[in-house]
Amino acid sequence: MQEQKGSSSPSISTLSIVQMNDISASYDSKSYVLKDIRMSIHRGSNYAIVGQSGSGKSTLLRLINGMMNPSKGKIMVDYQTPSTSDKKFKSLMHKIGYIPQNLGLIKNSTVLENVLIGALPRVSGFNSFFKKFSDVEIDNAKKIIKQVGLEGKAERKVYMLSGGEKRRVAIARALVQKPEIILADEIVSELDHVTAREIMDVLAEAQATMNLTAIMVHHDLQLALEYADRVAVIKEGEKILEIGVEGDKIVDFQSGNYTQREILEMFSGEPEE
Amino acid sequence: MNQKNNLIIGLIIAGVVVMSANVDADPRDFVEGLPNIGIMLQEITEVDSSLFVTALWAMLETIQMAFIGTVVGVAIALPLSLLAARNLNRKFVYVPIRALLAATRTFPSILWAILFVIIVGLGPFAGVLAIIMYTVGFIAKLQYEAIEAVDADPMDAVGAIGVSKLQLIRFVVLPESASHLLSQILYIFDYNIRQTSILGLVGAGGIGFYIINYIKFFEYGKAAVFMLVVLVTVLIIDWVSVRIRDKYIVKSQRGMQVKV
Repeated sequence: MQEQKGSSSPSISTLSIVQMNDISASYDSKSYVLKDIRMSIHRGSNYAIVGQSGSGKSTLLRLINGMMNPSKGKIMVDYQTPSTSDKKFKSLMHKIGYIPQNLGLIKNSTVLENVLIGALPRVSGFNSFFKKFSDVEIDNAKKIIKQVGLEGKAERKVYMLSGGEKRRVAIARALVQKPEIILADEIVSELDHVTAREIMDVLAEAQATMNLTAIMVHHDLQLALEYADRVAVIKEGEKILEIGVEGDKIVDFQSGNYTQREILEMFSGEPEE
Repeated sequence: MNQKNNLIIGLIIAGVVVMSANVDADPRDFVEGLPNIGIMLQEITEVDSSLFVTALWAMLETIQMAFIGTVVGVAIALPLSLLAARNLNRKFVYVPIRALLAATRTFPSILWAILFVIIVGLGPFAGVLAIIMYTVGFIAKLQYEAIEAVDADPMDAVGAIGVSKLQLIRFVVLPESASHLLSQILYIFDYNIRQTSILGLVGAGGIGFYIINYIKFFEYGKAAVFMLVVLVTVLIIDWVSVRIRDKYIVKSQRGMQVKV
């Protein structure tokens, strides 16, 4: 069993659930939103992507769930190439909880109805047309609604909820998917510090207990370092460094040309959303 | 005021004068005819109250026609609007459906009524069919526009789960466009009541049949009873729709009023 293959890449890919090799992405032919991104995200880790507005962070998430395709390079998610038209990948999409920046909740529906959307892949077309869910699914959804701190609000319409509560609904919808990966796009950046940490705690707890991989985009580097195992910093479409916290030290995983102070300065003095 | 503006206004006025001459719209005829209004008003006041029961029954028939036409029309329009929405379908699906819908809207309901009188004969059924045709064209158009205006975020978020298109429609598109649909149904029902009231002019049933006949025989007092019943009915329906609107639409759109 000692025999090893020439390179070390096979052992990396078994560890990583998302692997990006020199990914570039663009919305038009003129300019790139992302340039030559290399990234390896380990199964079960809490990975953060930090950058300023327009740096291409959201695009990274959309490459992972196949809502967008790279213009160059190769991306593998759980050994598959993301593509929404691929039937096999579609069953993986069922296991990827995606929380966009604006959450994408149905305002006129109740909390429970929104959360049950996460269970739709497990419901037949006929039953879902009549909004018929099994007792097991409803119990599970209610359990998760309680888990995210919305007990007693299952029947409330989403438009009646506060900003923090809406985020909890979106998290619950993703958790009901029984996901392997959760992608969250700046979901706490518009919240005050206390509420933001409450929401992050809900996600961190779910991530630990449900053994899932969390990939979150943040605006705030401090917050990212507080919760993530690793933080990739994106600037103008390029990954300029990848850092992690070990004890109270920040460890540089990529020989970046920036000092820790420079990194923090890059993100300070810019409190706007 | 510059010269260019004056010129444009002058041209518009000149246009109205020339076109009036073309279509024989002479204001002097109106002035000469004014005394006729007095005669008509006088005769209208001689209301024949013995006709009230007949008028109420005719109105009831009209309301039923409008109701059937609205319900069936909306039921047909809804699936068509889903097929006509650009954000849910490919071009080869929505283009022909839109063309079909545009064709149904080309004719006002009175022309549809004439057509259906020829096909199914005189009576309310022809009127109901005419109302259905108009409702389909009207509601389907407004509804596919509402569907296309549905917020892209929930479509995106739910689409990323990998749900089927039917599930996407059932859980995102329909709830997100429901308040628009309700508002449009209320409007078209109100509109259909008024339309059905005149379909009798071409023999397609409803209260308009009486109104046109009494007017033909210069029995304005009798016609007035029927017109009064139409007026009151329209006012009542208007009042009810405002109530429904307030209860179900205004609240959810503002999204402010918290009920505990």
